[in-house]
Amino acid sequence: MTLLEVKGLKKIYTTRFGGNQVQALSNVNFSVEEGEYVAIMGESGSGKTTLLNMLAALDRPTSGQILLDGKELSSIGEKELAVFRRENLGFVFQEFNLLDTFSIKDNIFLPLVLSGTPVAEMERRLAPIARRLGLDQLLRKFPYEISGGQKQRVAVARALITNPKLILADEPTGALDSKSTDDLLRVFRDINAQGQTILMVTHSTRAASHANRILFIKDGEVYHQIYRGARTNEQLYQKISDTLTMLATGGEQA
Amino acid sequence: MKVGFYTRLAWSNLRKNRRLYLPSILTGAGMNAVFYIILTLAADERLGDVKGGQYLTDLMPLGTMVVGLLSFILVLYTNSFIIKQRKREFGLYHILGMEKRHVGHILFWETAISGVMAVAAGLLGGILLYKLCVLIICRILKVDSILGIYYVSLSTVAPAGIYFLGLYLITCVINRVSIARMKPIEMLQSPNTGEKEPKTKVLMLLVGVLTLTAGYGISIATKQPLQALTLFFLAVVLVIIGTYCLFVSGSIAVLKLLKGRHRFYYQKNHMIAVSGMLYRMKQNAAGLASISIMATMVLVMMSSTVSLYAGIEDTLESRYTHQVYLNAGYYVGDDYQKIPHDQLFDMMEQTAEEQNLTITYHGEQRYLGCAFGYENGEMLLQRTNEFTPDVVQCFFMTQEDYESLTGEQLNLNGKEIAIHSLPSNQRRSVDGFKLKENEFTCTRQLDSFPISMEEYSIVDCFGIVLSGEEEFQNIEQLQREAYGDHASEVMEQLVVDFSDRKAMENHYEDYFDALRDKIHLVAEADEHSNGGFGMSVNCYWDTKEYIYGLLGTLFFLGLILSFAFLFATALVIYYKQISEGYEDRNRFQIMRKVGMSEDETKDAIHTQIMLVFFLPLIVAAVHTAFALPILIRLMRVLLQSNVLLFLGCSAASFAVFALIYLVIYRMTAHTYYHIVS
Repeated sequence: MTLLEVKGLKKIYTTRFGGNQVQALSNVNFSVEEGEYVAIMGESGSGKTTLLNMLAALDRPTSGQILLDGKELSSIGEKELAVFRRENLGFVFQEFNLLDTFSIKDNIFLPLVLSGTPVAEMERRLAPIARRLGLDQLLRKFPYEISGGQKQRVAVARALITNPKLILADEPTGALDSKSTDDLLRVFRDINAQGQTILMVTHSTRAASHANRILFIKDGEVYHQIYRGARTNEQLYQKISDTLTMLATGGEQA
Repeated sequence: MKVGFYTRLAWSNLRKNRRLYLPSILTGAGMNAVFYIILTLAADERLGDVKGGQYLTDLMPLGTMVVGLLSFILVLYTNSFIIKQRKREFGLYHILGMEKRHVGHILFWETAISGVMAVAAGLLGGILLYKLCVLIICRILKVDSILGIYYVSLSTVAPAGIYFLGLYLITCVINRVSIARMKPIEMLQSPNTGEKEPKTKVLMLLVGVLTLTAGYGISIATKQPLQALTLFFLAVVLVIIGTYCLFVSGSIAVLKLLKGRHRFYYQKNHMIAVSGMLYRMKQNAAGLASISIMATMVLVMMSSTVSLYAGIEDTLESRYTHQVYLNAGYYVGDDYQKIPHDQLFDMMEQTAEEQNLTITYHGEQRYLGCAFGYENGEMLLQRTNEFTPDVVQCFFMTQEDYESLTGEQLNLNGKEIAIHSLPSNQRRSVDGFKLKENEFTCTRQLDSFPISMEEYSIVDCFGIVLSGEEEFQNIEQLQREAYGDHASEVMEQLVVDFSDRKAMENHYEDYFDALRDKIHLVAEADEHSNGGFGMSVNCYWDTKEYIYGLLGTLFFLGLILSFAFLFATALVIYYKQISEGYEDRNRFQIMRKVGMSEDETKDAIHTQIMLVFFLPLIVAAVHTAFALPILIRLMRVLLQSNVLLFLGCSAASFAVFALIYLVIYRMTAHTYYHIVS
């Protein structure tokens, strides 16, 4: 079943003074099936972040459609948008975005508290997630007391606790060392294996090599895509790496 | 690099950071204006000549000291705040290749330019507003306004300007030193990363509760006005300590308690506000406590000076049942020869006729006012120099005199007496008393007494009517023997009322001048006289002038100091909000990303600001409410015993203060929103 469908997406920014127009996305089309693990790659300025912002409903497209579970994002009013995002999307950011005034537990609870979930229900949902992500011992601590890898796992827990249809991850490994990166990618594989759909934007070939499908964006369009097929992570890594070289040197489509 | 470069850079920095600098310049200017005005009021010889104006010269230096000290603290506070906020910017200059001394140069020029602007604006504002203040003072003192050209006095412009320029010079030096001590890396690091959640300090909490309870207790339990006077400052100190301790530890204890209650805590506004406040209490508790204390000071100052002033007419009414109390005499050798009251009254009538005035009442008042020690119903003839609660003040009068003054028949015999006890007395009813071998029994309580005793109401006062001349002389004799040189004299006064009290206000000085001339003539007419003569007048109008001068000046001083403190409070609040805004910006951005709508963010911000903002106001209101009992007693020392009036003035002061506070709130909340979103 198709969970996310992006059709003819176009975004043009108008600079504040002078009226210069910058085209960030020209024509993006792709779809994500339920249970998929998709990575989006591309160089700086290729339009990755713009795409992600629009998928997250933080920004509105100039034209084109984004359908999440059959629902058109631009049809949702400004007021319901926050609720919609809270209930359907989970976010994982490069800088973790944990609140230093909240304990780990409260950070994970935040989206549920915003939705007005009863305390008992929050505790019920937290227990399995905390166990799965190895956060049991950390719940009472504060963000400044734990490592970067642990922080990112907390952010994943915060994204998962609302049972979102889709997790959007923006460079989730960008601020992590290699061991923490491996840890996190294993976590992503794990939750994907249990049926969670993930869409990850990344620079990192290694991160992308854990996904099932990789989309390449160049000059505001989906330029190329690779399916994992039967490849191992290492083989996929090599394939991605070759593709990136080709994209950078301007070779023909493989 | 030339000076021009630094000044240009400094100027553009000031403009870029106007959110920080503008309030600081405005505060400097405001304080400078107030300082100049107070200095000039004390020095203005035109005001010195006005009725009651001499108190300005006496009391304004007190105001100068307070405003001077407050300015000193505020200028240093704003400076340190600005430097803290701009540390990163200075670090950046460093990275860009400037040396510390270059940064120092820029900072010097920034401080210099803002200081000169503040002083110039302050002096100009002070000079312009001075006329308004003079008009207000004339209204308060109830005298004709002095109008005329603008009064500018170089002798006060110079010290006011120099003092403030000096303050800015001090901050220049401080900045120079602190820049030299800063390490570039530290400058660049963002402040307050990884603040620990504060722990509850149990000992401090205990100290806070104890001191505050003690302070409040003193206010409620102190019944004697005189004790109130000595204990008031102790209570103030206790409450200040208690406020600081409770803000620092109590707030954390309460917030932790709230956090422990999951049903309350896990609601979106509660969660954000409680954890946000808990997080910042450590650094902000002292600031909030200071705001609360300043607010309390403003409230106490406003309500007491306003009610003292508003109660002047009341005080005069209660003290002057008649308009003039008078006696006169001259010296024959070393002896003072009284002029008989009949003769004196003839002279008064004659003078009145000459000046087209009418005397509507005249009578005689003869009493003995005397202090005793008091113990178990016994009056002790021991003289102390201190007023302690064991001292009582008695006013004795014969039945005959009482009847002629009031027209009331008492029919007292022998050791029977009638007593009037002041409403403010601690011992309200007395059945009688013993004085040496004499035992007096009270057969009648009187509701009023012809002699005004309010002046002495800091101790218990009794008006006592004796059965006759024999008892009166007896008591006079006893106190004369016991007190010797310090014995009280029997007061014999002529009591006179004129028909038009209002009209006499402008005439009374002429009238008594004319009367004095007549007495002089009488003294000279007696061949035995040595030429010395005396006239003692205690009249309504003279006291009115004195009391309006004194309390009016106090009232004005209270107003202007309240204004200065309000200014200071507003500034502290504003800077607090700004610094919190910069800290909170990041947090609210994260919450937006995690799925909080704009409206929800606004709600959460609102809850948080309201809590931080109105907590000090509530604390100030509670402090003031608990201060009321002791203030009411203190007011009595200052001759203001109208409790209702005082409560009304306190309520009004609070209303005005809350209104101004609300305006400050609106302004700072606006800036805060702007920074956060």
